[in-house]
Amino acid sequence: MRGIARIHHALDNASRALVARRTWTQVLYVLISVPLAAAGFVWVLATLALSAVLTLTPLGLWLLALTLRGARVLGNLHRALAAVLLGDRIAAPPPPAGRSPLAWRRAILTDASQWQAVGYLLLKLPVATLICAVTVAVWANGGLLLSYPVLRTTNGPTVVEADGTVRHGFSIGGFHLDTWPGMLLVTAAGAIVFLLAPWVVSRVLVVDRFLLRALLGTNQRSDRVRELERTRAQAVDDATATLRRIERDLHDGTQARLVALGISLTMAKDTLRGEADDASFRQTRELIDSAHQQARDTLVELRDLARGIRPPVLDQGLLAALATLTSGCALPVDLHTNIPRRPAPAIEMIAYFCVTELLTNAVRHSGAQRVRVDARLHDEMLWILVADDGAGGATLGAGSGLIGLRERLSTVDGDLKIKSPAGGPTTVTLRLPNHS
Amino acid sequence: MRLVVAEDSAILRHGLTQLLAMRGHHVVAAVGDGDALASAVAEHRPDVAVIDIRMPPTHTDEGVRAAIALRHEYPTLGMLLFSQYIETSFATTLLTGKPEGVGYLLKDRVTDIDAFVDALTRIAAGGTALDPEVVAQLLRASRQRKTLASLSPRERDVLALMAEGHSNAAIGDALTVTERAVEKHIAHIFVKLDLPPSDTRHRRVVAVLLYLQA
Repeated sequence: MRGIARIHHALDNASRALVARRTWTQVLYVLISVPLAAAGFVWVLATLALSAVLTLTPLGLWLLALTLRGARVLGNLHRALAAVLLGDRIAAPPPPAGRSPLAWRRAILTDASQWQAVGYLLLKLPVATLICAVTVAVWANGGLLLSYPVLRTTNGPTVVEADGTVRHGFSIGGFHLDTWPGMLLVTAAGAIVFLLAPWVVSRVLVVDRFLLRALLGTNQRSDRVRELERTRAQAVDDATATLRRIERDLHDGTQARLVALGISLTMAKDTLRGEADDASFRQTRELIDSAHQQARDTLVELRDLARGIRPPVLDQGLLAALATLTSGCALPVDLHTNIPRRPAPAIEMIAYFCVTELLTNAVRHSGAQRVRVDARLHDEMLWILVADDGAGGATLGAGSGLIGLRERLSTVDGDLKIKSPAGGPTTVTLRLPNHS
Repeated sequence: MRLVVAEDSAILRHGLTQLLAMRGHHVVAAVGDGDALASAVAEHRPDVAVIDIRMPPTHTDEGVRAAIALRHEYPTLGMLLFSQYIETSFATTLLTGKPEGVGYLLKDRVTDIDAFVDALTRIAAGGTALDPEVVAQLLRASRQRKTLASLSPRERDVLALMAEGHSNAAIGDALTVTERAVEKHIAHIFVKLDLPPSDTRHRRVVAVLLYLQA
């Protein structure tokens, strides 16, 4: 009895599935995805082939970027189709962005999700064709078998027997299925195929949905990387802002109070100036003098401290800061700059400290006569070259300040290259993104 | 002297007002930002404005910008800019064009009241008063171009003090030489730097400063 109940339950489910909205949206999805997949396939193949031809010209990379951009649009269509008809809501990876066309091209060409979309478009056509074939096969065969009693005369094998009788329909091992029980058997088989069709379609669609999720969805690891990049940039920016605030508090708060203290002591001295010259007055004057001197020394120390935290000249921008820095250098420095836009504060600060360190190295260790500093913004990257005509031999070895510089640069994905053969000259190239 | 003080720290504003009053100078207005400074100058027409460089809202170079605007409107107004640190580019900005009646000092100098009042007096008379640190930086920058190489160390000392705005007598005191000796040094400097001789005090300083910035 339990077996019968189970069969009844399964039949019930299957017949319900036949009329379920989901069944028909899946079929619709299968039917629409084939032409869409064909369009994607043609787009990718045609543009890839053309960009391969054009690789020798500058157009090649632009066309490749366009291929990827188009793949993204087509991928979005597939994603939207799946969302509407399959209910698969897949978050789209964020589009690559660049402030200049060149930066956009680099971003798009190096973004893994773009290439995954291309892969999806290439795989989608065979997969969609196969799924469509299976879907059409089950539904059509189910329908045909179900309508066997009616269609058998027009749409079935016809056999003329030796005695001249014409028999319509299938025959299995000489047994003709043109009798009522036989026809019923075929119809029953048709019903079973029909009832199974929704299940079969949803099974084969698993492949498609897997592809969709794997290639058009956001990748957990790349999501994580993006998230880490974002939070790191924020941490670097926050740290820069905090340093600036501390520096400003020291200058405008603590130093202002010290200056006010100095003023009070000056006035105290002035007040005592005309007093009688006895021992206790003299002693008081000396004490005030000493306090006054200490206040001045503290002011100088505090100014150096604040400058070490963040040079206030950076308020005027990296250009002014570099001009001040190089003009104060013990060696003659040729400064060349081409920075039309101000980089992010964190980038300016890191660049400034790196150049400070490199100039100090040149003065202390290189024996150079001249230094050249070249800072330019190119393709959303800040390039700074510090070259001296000294003895060379600078390395990234242990204990070298250069390691510290590289670590500092790496917090914003910047890096540094050293060319310093024994005998010189030394050239250090810094590369920083324009924003943290 | 009648003065306007623009300084965003209330405690310093108060201290400066008191200090200058002790020396018989009259602070006619003490304000906290550039806009208030402009209207205070318009109202009181002081001899000298004492201006903090970092003021609200951005705390970067408001004072310099306010000074440049004031310079346009009141060419005879003396201006002393002061800040917690020295930035040569500010000095260059201020001195470009018409470097008379301008000063640029570290705030620390306020605590040496005699030197501070002396600087204000010079500025009011159309002279200049530059912080020794500014002069040192400017000299370093021009030494890089090797143009000062021909000067002897003593002549360089004299040039630095001249650039700060001191008189021959004050330079002589500072270097413990006679005023006559100072005059001789200055004559040599002019010859070596190929500057046309000039008899007025501040035009001489102007020439030196312009040379230093060149």
